[in-house]
Amino acid sequence: MKEYVLDAQVTGQFLDFLERFGTVKRIEQLKRPYFSFEKEHFISVRGFIGDPTVEVRYAKESRDIVADYFHLMLYYEREGEPGIEKLKGIEGTMREKIRVRLGQDLGQTP
Amino acid sequence: MDPDAPLIYLNNAATTWPKPPGVIGEVERCLHQPVYEAGRTTADGSTDYPSVTRDALASFFDAERPEHFIFTQNATDALNLLIHGFAGMQKVPFHAITTDLEHNSVLRPLRTLEAGGRLNLSIIASDDGRVPLQAIRKAIRPETRLIVMTHGSNVLGSLLNVQPVAEYCDANGIFLIIDGAQTAGQIPIRLSDIPAGAFIFTGHKALFGIPGIGGFYIRDPGSVASIRQGGTGTDSASLTHPHEMPQKFEAGTPNIPGIASLRAGIRFIGEVGQDAVTARLRSLTSLFIGKLRDDPGICLYYPVPDLPVVSFNIRNLANGEAGFILAKAYHIITRTGLHCAPLIHERIDGGNGCIRVSFSCLNTREEIETAASAIREVAAGANR
Repeated sequence: MKEYVLDAQVTGQFLDFLERFGTVKRIEQLKRPYFSFEKEHFISVRGFIGDPTVEVRYAKESRDIVADYFHLMLYYEREGEPGIEKLKGIEGTMREKIRVRLGQDLGQTP
Repeated sequence: MDPDAPLIYLNNAATTWPKPPGVIGEVERCLHQPVYEAGRTTADGSTDYPSVTRDALASFFDAERPEHFIFTQNATDALNLLIHGFAGMQKVPFHAITTDLEHNSVLRPLRTLEAGGRLNLSIIASDDGRVPLQAIRKAIRPETRLIVMTHGSNVLGSLLNVQPVAEYCDANGIFLIIDGAQTAGQIPIRLSDIPAGAFIFTGHKALFGIPGIGGFYIRDPGSVASIRQGGTGTDSASLTHPHEMPQKFEAGTPNIPGIASLRAGIRFIGEVGQDAVTARLRSLTSLFIGKLRDDPGICLYYPVPDLPVVSFNIRNLANGEAGFILAKAYHIITRTGLHCAPLIHERIDGGNGCIRVSFSCLNTREEIETAASAIREVAAGANR
């Protein structure tokens, strides 16, 4: 697990971006509105909307392959739609490496 | 959330916090003195912490022989010394019994010996948090030599009736190791009434010592081989490790500050009174369960614990996420996951783990009420 302090607070817009790559859960009726992001075989992220600090966990089975994935997400998020397409391309390469390692079909990116 | 909001620490089954001021003061006092070395010239005023603490343990647990208390790093260390040491005394593979309530500190040494062909292991399924003598007797074979069982579950908070098991084992030549990591300091324990082969305790939980100190009491040291040899400060001309107690199981410089803290922790319990500690813990546990029992968003796994341990999950929220929210948004420290006891989790939550809260007698009713309210708020949010 690694804790990151982002340049900006986590916003609903950032969660919409994350949703393009995995499952986002939001529990907003708490003292601090909580979110989590889950992408099987890649990473999971936890934090609070309005807070720049997030916890990122890397999938054990592919830790080396996905080590930069969260950083890539942050980088390409700034580019908008073109960034999403570029990241999906990079993710496809990672997914193929994971598939070969695990010897199983991982399904499609959401 | 106010970042300066006070921390509510409910992970006392792992390690108690805060420590009583007397414990911290004793450690400080100890570190201000030169280390006392038995049998050697030492400074005036130094305290022979190991000896006085063995005396304190013997009095606290009502045990006959202070020198049969052995200091170890923790309960895991004690279990390893005893389980491997007992196996070391057996010339042929033997049969051992344990339960599905055990911590990995019991299961892993036993499994390691089993993998090495040293023993065959039977694991008895608990029934509603208990393991009655009848179930153990059914598992016993002619070659059964060892039983290792917990005194209290670190997941369910159930207390096991070890006395009849100890009496049976004593009468039938079976070495019984009782893991008292969760009970020592929580409830009154009189070892004079429990004829077990050995009783394990740890210092950093309900005995209020600092991490790094634990130990065991052994009735017959001849039953277990010493698996750790070295300097003892006695009989130094001999290259053979001494058989006398406590040197047989202790080698090298002990954890003197840890031992000092253990003595001070026992003194603290003595001042409050063990019965008063136990009563307070039952009251706090009952208060907490009463606040959560009827909440449809919360699944309690053992709503009638004997020990101050409550395990639960919030519906529609992974336990790790719930623990994260409680810690970061409410400053409430719980424990999530499998709690190093994977077999009982397979039965209660499908091996997914749970949230565990555990109290110390230093928790307040206000803390319990605040924590219960926060947990209900998270459960409501997750199930809206």
